[in-house]
Amino acid sequence: MSYEPKLVGFLCNWCSYTGADLAGTSRIQYPPNIRIIRVMCSARIDPSFILQSLGKGADGVLICGCHPGDCHYSEGNYKAMRRYPLLKRLLDAYGIEHERVRLEWVSASEGQRFADVVADMTERLRALGPCRVKTALATDQIER
Amino acid sequence: MEDLKIGVYVCNCGTNIAHVIDAESVKNYAATLPGVKIARSYRYMCSNPGQEMIVEDIRSQGLNRVVVAACSPRMHERTFRNACRTAGLNPYLCEMANIREQCSWVHNDSVAATEKAMALTRAAVLRVACQEPLEGLTAEMCPTTLVLGGGIAGLTAALELADGGFPVVIVERADRLGGNLTRVDLTAPHFDSARDLVRERIAHVRGNPNVTVMLRSELRSLSGFVGNFTAEIATNGGKPTKVRVGNVVVATGYKEFDASRVTHFGYGKLPNVITSFDFERMLRAGRIETKDGRLPQYAAIIHCVGSRSEEFHAYCSRVCCMTALKYANEIKSAIPTCYVSDLYIDMHAFGKGCEDFYKRSSEAKTLFLMYGKGDHPVIRRAASTDDCDMLIEVEEKLSGEHIEIPADLVILMVGMEARADAADVAHVVNISQDKSGWFIESHPKLDPVATTTDGVYIAGTCAAPKDIPDTVAQARAAAARILAKIAKGKIEIDGVFAEVNEEQCSGCRMCNELCPYSAIEFDADKKRSHVIPAACKACGACVAACPSAAIKGRHFTDAQIFAQIEGVLL
Amino acid sequence: MAAKKLQIALYWGAACGGCDVAVLDTNEFILTVGEAADIRLWPIAADGKYQDIEAMADGELDLSLFNGAVRNSENEHIAKLLRRKSKLLVAFGSCAHLGGIPGLANLTSKEDIFATAYLGNASIEPGNRTVPHPKTQVNGHSLEIPAFYRRVYRLSDVVDVDYFVPGCPPEPSQIKNVLLAVVKGELPPKKSVVGASERTLCDDCARRKTEKKVKRFYRPWEIIQDPERCLLEQGIVCMGPATRSGCGVRCPNSNQGCRGCYGPAPGVVDHGAKFLSAISSIIDSKDPKEIDAILGTLPDFIGIAYRFGLPASILQRRHGA
Repeated sequence: MSYEPKLVGFLCNWCSYTGADLAGTSRIQYPPNIRIIRVMCSARIDPSFILQSLGKGADGVLICGCHPGDCHYSEGNYKAMRRYPLLKRLLDAYGIEHERVRLEWVSASEGQRFADVVADMTERLRALGPCRVKTALATDQIER
Repeated sequence: MEDLKIGVYVCNCGTNIAHVIDAESVKNYAATLPGVKIARSYRYMCSNPGQEMIVEDIRSQGLNRVVVAACSPRMHERTFRNACRTAGLNPYLCEMANIREQCSWVHNDSVAATEKAMALTRAAVLRVACQEPLEGLTAEMCPTTLVLGGGIAGLTAALELADGGFPVVIVERADRLGGNLTRVDLTAPHFDSARDLVRERIAHVRGNPNVTVMLRSELRSLSGFVGNFTAEIATNGGKPTKVRVGNVVVATGYKEFDASRVTHFGYGKLPNVITSFDFERMLRAGRIETKDGRLPQYAAIIHCVGSRSEEFHAYCSRVCCMTALKYANEIKSAIPTCYVSDLYIDMHAFGKGCEDFYKRSSEAKTLFLMYGKGDHPVIRRAASTDDCDMLIEVEEKLSGEHIEIPADLVILMVGMEARADAADVAHVVNISQDKSGWFIESHPKLDPVATTTDGVYIAGTCAAPKDIPDTVAQARAAAARILAKIAKGKIEIDGVFAEVNEEQCSGCRMCNELCPYSAIEFDADKKRSHVIPAACKACGACVAACPSAAIKGRHFTDAQIFAQIEGVLL
Repeated sequence: MAAKKLQIALYWGAACGGCDVAVLDTNEFILTVGEAADIRLWPIAADGKYQDIEAMADGELDLSLFNGAVRNSENEHIAKLLRRKSKLLVAFGSCAHLGGIPGLANLTSKEDIFATAYLGNASIEPGNRTVPHPKTQVNGHSLEIPAFYRRVYRLSDVVDVDYFVPGCPPEPSQIKNVLLAVVKGELPPKKSVVGASERTLCDDCARRKTEKKVKRFYRPWEIIQDPERCLLEQGIVCMGPATRSGCGVRCPNSNQGCRGCYGPAPGVVDHGAKFLSAISSIIDSKDPKEIDAILGTLPDFIGIAYRFGLPASILQRRHGA
């Protein structure tokens, strides 16, 4: 069977989750590979959520927040913005392609943009191939 | 802990969900998940029978958790939480899986969409198992209201509150009350005196013992939370005094567009090109004349100066069209022989009585010339042989002709723009501005005077250009919202907020500066931080940043989110 | 009738010996232990054979302190053996608790380690460049040595562990407390971390803490530090806010940032991720380029964040080719 990437999305409630809902009300189609988890603000997204997603079998993680300057909580998205480059470095050090994790700003009015981001990321993950962390960690417990 | 008894309800939403997703399979799958006692599907879960189904199951089956796989929680979370509450189940023990907006409406592959709906439902089931019953809190409501700005909006809001018997503090930067309206002569479309309107408000304010007016004053800081703010107000740039207030009305108004930014009208160079505010001054002085004291034979009014323009402000300033018609009428009645031309892009006559006013004005021999939005009239000095001071060239849109009209006096209808210091105000009271600098309302349609900061309201032209009736309506609306809160006496605080586990907090102070609402306080004696629930908006920034996991984001706990990750990926 | 003496074993897996020395550092207390207990196995200090342990009845040992990570088949074998023979098995020290410094080997592969240690090293004589194999034939006899695993494990990855004593090495005073608690039967619920605080280092650190906003990070020698002020606020990387206390704030008191050996605070899933979240939250910039530049002053982040706990992290090791 061909490989279907599993993509976990962490979306802030006020902009991006609403934008994803707008894609729905506008009936904009995008690949069904993404599974969305709602948080109130992108600042809530603990890097361990992303590592946990990869460890549990996600092939990619999408983090979405309000555009800079547009945060419902005034500056939460900057906190997400500050964590992201360090997280990318960490993933590189772990030997995991940092392209598997992406931070995008999607406003409540950008249903189309949300759909485009998901489609693009799904395609990139397809090209990148599966993330083998979950299987590797399971194998470690059998083959020393 | 008592055993989990989860009820899962899969909504068909008519065919909105069921046309793509096999809701029966999702339901059957849900029944196999850990802790699920009952799983049902139904045509419309949000309908009365749908909600009653949940209520009945909670009561008869003893359910202690509910999952509704249906539309977006932004749509019906409140509905299903209320259903749970009705049945005696804490509303925070209800979770939704968004299988409509984020599944059936965006995917047409039935197999993949059904599989995704199962994953989302599983995530909700695993999450709800970790959810905890939450209770809100109550806090005192200080009945004093702080009104920023002593213009028509601020005065009106203040009077409404003071007449209700509650104290109000008006903070005004200028040395007098009245704001921009004191610069206006008559109002459109009924030719009432603007000064009379304002004077009446000021007189009442001055006569009302509940109102304290602080002139030449500004708000330096606002701390605390709804019902319990502390405002620091400085007068004459001196040391700030602290005032305890429960609510704030921001009514800081607008400033007019600077016409000298538009070069092709020659404002500041051609002496008889003036702005609408210059003209108001003329009207109040009682004589319409050119710079050298002549009566103008030709007057021209140009609309949308700085408004509806790519270069300056994209928005419509709303009041200028009717003001322009007012000028045409006033010029005609003062100088009946004067030819008046009115150069407009579109005539916006949306207010009550305005279309009538437009019709009457059209009949009063004003020459209406329409110009294109991307285009603009050009003014130049007339030759000495011409019988006028200036000539205006315009591509007239309706006739399609290039027209040249004479003018002795040109009035530029300057639009409204956000005050230069609006960003400072926004920062102090913690509200947001849109790209044009106007303050943003909580919801543009349903909550137009509230802001994203509880207890801070906006009224009048600080939120967007508007006319006097709309401004007054907003001011009264803001006051009404506050009066309702004061009447309640206490404020209710939602159960979702961050809380510091003081057994685990080590006083590292990592979180202290992160809170945009200053909701985190550090107790220097105890060496612990704590969250003021009423000030917390539950964004979770401190929860993610706390290096010792001492801060719990209620209803968005690590355990709940980890459960969701597990659920969507299993 | 004299009370039955406590039956104790101490063992080292992939370790440096520091944990054993820390036990000795309890000074005269260890002599009291010697009187109150029979030390049945302690490779670093006393003679003892694995066969003696194998010959014991299951559960005969009251307490086994296992220090060191699980790097090879011998470590795993003894871990399982001690588990069977002990009433209480304690992961003792950072390596057994979280993987420790040996756990950093999870950033590389067995092949690379062998290539460096047995082939590449300049100090190896050219004729002696041999790589050990678990099974070899010598003069017709079969020789076996422990198999080197592909990665490093924590003790709890291979056996069920009753208690965890953190630290690299554990503080002698804490070791005393733990041993006394065992003798008195005053241990907390199983699986607990013992011999440490329930809070992080900042709770015990006397440095002044105020606003945290960082424009760049410094290595300790790059800056004249204010000895009274929080190191992190001065841009010196300190894992203290994210690290369980109990060590006596040794590193910050010596003007070095905490290195995180006591592991994460209770309830934290991933020590490094939590520290990442915290430290990046206090970066004082809103400009992505500047943020990147500030982070550039933070070298080898994975080494900082998981110095003592890579095998205990969510991702556990380097992945990919």
